[in-house]
Parts: sequence; C-alpha cells; structure tokens
Amino acid sequence: MENTDPALLPSIIFTTAAQLVDCVDKKLLVVLRDGRKLIGILRSFDQYANLVLQDTIERIIVESMYSDIQRGVYIVRGENVVLVGEIEPEKEDSIPLKEVSLDEIYAARQDEINHRRQRELTKNSKLMDIGFSIDTQQEDMY
Amino acid sequence: MLPLTLLNTSQGHPMLVELKSGETLNGHLVNCDAWMNLTLKEVVQTNADGTRFFRLPECYVRGNNIKYLRVPDEVLDIAREKNQQQREEQRKSNQPQRGGYNRQYTSGGQRGGYNRNRGGGNVGRGGGHLQRGGRGGQY
Repeated sequence: MENTDPALLPSIIFTTAAQLVDCVDKKLLVVLRDGRKLIGILRSFDQYANLVLQDTIERIIVESMYSDIQRGVYIVRGENVVLVGEIEPEKEDSIPLKEVSLDEIYAARQDEINHRRQRELTKNSKLMDIGFSIDTQQEDMY
Repeated sequence: MLPLTLLNTSQGHPMLVELKSGETLNGHLVNCDAWMNLTLKEVVQTNADGTRFFRLPECYVRGNNIKYLRVPDEVLDIAREKNQQQREEQRKSNQPQRGGYNRQYTSGGQRGGYNRNRGGGNVGRGGGHLQRGGRGGQY
C-alpha cells in the first residue's frame, strides 16, 4: 500500500517491539521458549517486548487434542517470547482440535515426552555405533 | 501502563514467579527495580518437576532469570486507577501554571496563546495545501 500523506507515519518504520501497538487490547497467542502457549488479551508492552496479558489461559496441545487452564494476569519477560500472533475472534471456535480433560492431556503429554526420549536414546546409540560422539542433547520444545 | 509499572504496583501483593529453569516462587513482592530484580517474602519455592517444596522467609531474584510473573487480577485495576489519578494531577498542576505565566508576563497573553495554538493547528491540518503551494511561502 502506498502512503502519500506525509503526516501519517508509514507502519513499516516500526520493525521492533513497537509493532505490537497494533495488537494492544486484542486477543493473542503467545508462544514461550519452553513451549508454553498462552492466550490472553495484550494490555501493554515495552521496548523489551515484556508483555502484560489479561484473562490469560494456558493451552496445552498434544497432537490433535488440547486443554485450557485459566491463569489470569501475566507479566511475561520479553526474552522468553518466541512468537506473538493475533487470534481472529470469528475463527477462534473452529479450530481442528478436540478439547479433552486436563488429566487426559497430562497423560498424553507424558506419553509424548517418553516417546520422544526413547527415540532420542535410540538415535544416539545408533549414532554412537557409527562413530559420532554425542555430548549435548538439545530439544526444541516448541 | 507499562509492564514494569504494573510490577511496581504489585508491591505488597502475592505473586507467582517462574524462573527460566522452571522453578517457581510463590510469595509477596517486597520490592522491584527497572531490571525486574525482585525481593519476595514468605516464599514457597517449587522445583522444576513440581515435586519438592521449600519455604523461604525471604528471597532475592535477579531479573534476568525470570520467565514470567503471575499477579492477581485486582492489580491491573489498581494500576489503572493510579495511572488515571496521576494524569489528573498532572493536568491540574499544568493548567494553572500556564495561565499564570501568560497573565504575569504578557497582557492578554492567554488569548494570544490560544489563537497561536489554533493557527498552528490549521497549518498542520492543511498540510496537503501547503505542499502544493510551497511551504516556504506560507511562513
């Protein structure tokens, strides 16, 4: 879009945390470095992308299941934020995931962790067999 | 209000702090600073697995270790109220000062000031015209 009015600042000059101005008072999905997914209303932010989220829920997603936990007000330290995405209110209720109970989701998550750990072990032993040395194990949580 | 302002207004309230390591601290905020360093009192520390708990009478957290903080819902309302109060106080303290200045040093200063402002506003709004006509000519 071409912006001919010099009085209006083109939005592309906000390329850092300031881009979040458009997201204030909107419902957002925030993904943290540890893989947590928070859904809440952004009330404020600063130059570090520290965020204030209101009426937040934590959504645990395992495969095609999810479960929500009510959490309230969060102050998230910016360093830990991986991504911030706006949630469209109209499409919010039509997600292709099945809501399950918390117990179920915890069990499913534990299964997934065990499965991943097992696979990691197998992979490492295979790599050892063909002469690789494995000194760090790093998992992408998100 | 900014995240750190909200943190400031949380002083004296209970809060949950999760560290990057996954440990959590539940306690009352005593003090905090611009680096998000905190002092808490009456703390329950929980290890990353959530299997062990430690009670600490007080603790200090260096801000860089924090992942997030959870504060009670009321704190947002309190912060908003305080913010509004501050703004009102600022407005009250600003207005009489300007009036006083004008009255003291210029006759009819208030009127002049008002008109000057209005003129400025018109120039700003008519920006499109000025460009075509050449900005220098107007000034």
